[in-house]
Amino acid sequence: MGEINRELRRNKDLLWLLTKKEITLKYKRTVLGILWSLLNPILLAIILFIAFKIFMRIKMENYTFFFLSALFPWNWFSASVTMSTGTLIGNVSLIKKIRFPRHFLVLATILAQLFNLILALPIIIGLSYFYGNGLGMSWFLIVPILVAIQFMVTTGICVAISMINAYFRDMEYIIGVVVSMLFWMTPIVYPLNMVPEAYRIYLILNPLTHLITAWRDLFMSNTINWGSIGISFGSSLIFFFLGLLVFQRLGKRLDEVL
Amino acid sequence: MNGIIEIKDVWKKFPMGKDRPGFKEFLVKLPQFLSGNSHSYFWALKRISFKIEQGECIGIIGKNGAGKSTLLSLILGTIYPTKGEIQVSQKITPLLELGAGFHPDLTGRENILINGVLLGLTKDEVMERIEAIIAFSEIKEFIDMPLRTYSTGMYLRLAFSVAIHTDPKLLLIDEILAVGDEAFQKKSKDALLHLIKGGATTIFVSHRMSAITEICHRALWLDGGEMRAEGIPEKIVEEYLRYSG
Repeated sequence: MGEINRELRRNKDLLWLLTKKEITLKYKRTVLGILWSLLNPILLAIILFIAFKIFMRIKMENYTFFFLSALFPWNWFSASVTMSTGTLIGNVSLIKKIRFPRHFLVLATILAQLFNLILALPIIIGLSYFYGNGLGMSWFLIVPILVAIQFMVTTGICVAISMINAYFRDMEYIIGVVVSMLFWMTPIVYPLNMVPEAYRIYLILNPLTHLITAWRDLFMSNTINWGSIGISFGSSLIFFFLGLLVFQRLGKRLDEVL
Repeated sequence: MNGIIEIKDVWKKFPMGKDRPGFKEFLVKLPQFLSGNSHSYFWALKRISFKIEQGECIGIIGKNGAGKSTLLSLILGTIYPTKGEIQVSQKITPLLELGAGFHPDLTGRENILINGVLLGLTKDEVMERIEAIIAFSEIKEFIDMPLRTYSTGMYLRLAFSVAIHTDPKLLLIDEILAVGDEAFQKKSKDALLHLIKGGATTIFVSHRMSAITEICHRALWLDGGEMRAEGIPEKIVEEYLRYSG
């Protein structure tokens, strides 16, 4: 019993240290260091405000808030997916010489990106006071739920593609295209009802549409959209288990291709 | 006596494909590859069977490419056998490639922490030992500098020091007794001998026959992926040397 407990604690320590490593390495030799994670979303918000509010003068109310409320959660997803394609093939010596749960490398990549989303939350909160209803009690319940759901979808996708990429290195380039396609197939830049009805079904079939909608409804109007949350949760389970299955199956012969 | 490691009729094959198969070939071979029936492959290990008891020190000898490192990786569990079965009932500390988990941009201290946990300790356990690890490695004044500023010798000393402080019960050693300068070599060898004498089960791959006969209780001779002979180190080493001329 004590041994199992110790092993659990060790795995927790390992995941935490790998995540911390990802975060510290990113800014290791910079002057501002971790401040960049806070500065980045602020600068992005200012740029978008100038582009949409001053230059383009988009008619939609609070467009900057509308865009950012979806963009920050999206960035967590897209950065995780893009970075995890190289995670396994980039850690060959670790994988070949030390025995440890390999999926931790991918999880650490995702968690390090989650850190960026968390540091972007103050901007969202600021915008919600400026444009909307301000921070509601519902946030404290729903933000963790949505983080958990998105973590599961992202994990499923990331572990699968990091593994497939070891066998089939074209994956990295395919993913680059697919991620940017998904960006436009998800209502981030525009609201769903702006898409012509004939094509709307394609966006609705995309599970990320529901997840992003749930985030936006929460951030912009403190609304708990249980419908979107439910669909997101269901699809996240499918992605999660399918991804782990692929990872486990292909993992048996990983040494032959690295 | 129960075997700590039991290896039963283990075979391992590696595919021999081109680096870039080309699209047509890729499509044609995909089903084959996925089912594991690739046509071009070679057997790195063939019908390997042996048992290692608690506290034994086994030396593995053989020419380059005989399958020694593959065998160590199989026991470690970073690769899986194509056929056969391997049972290991102990936590393993690999000394295969020192500092495999080190990152050049992290400091010595940060690397100790992450490697200690990778090698089987909890974070608290590493923290308890960190002073001993630093002292053993003799690089106290550089410990908070990034690893990329270290010399090769300092790097290996730190890596060895972390590995030796993880309470190894089962050591896999791939030719690493020569770490650092003369004095540190002696120190590291003494530390390993102390562990082996203290009852740590050890599998030791080396080309230095004197080390095999000096340390090991038993030797295995691998040749072309097959077990050619097994027995007391002096006898096996003598046969091996006579054979390779």
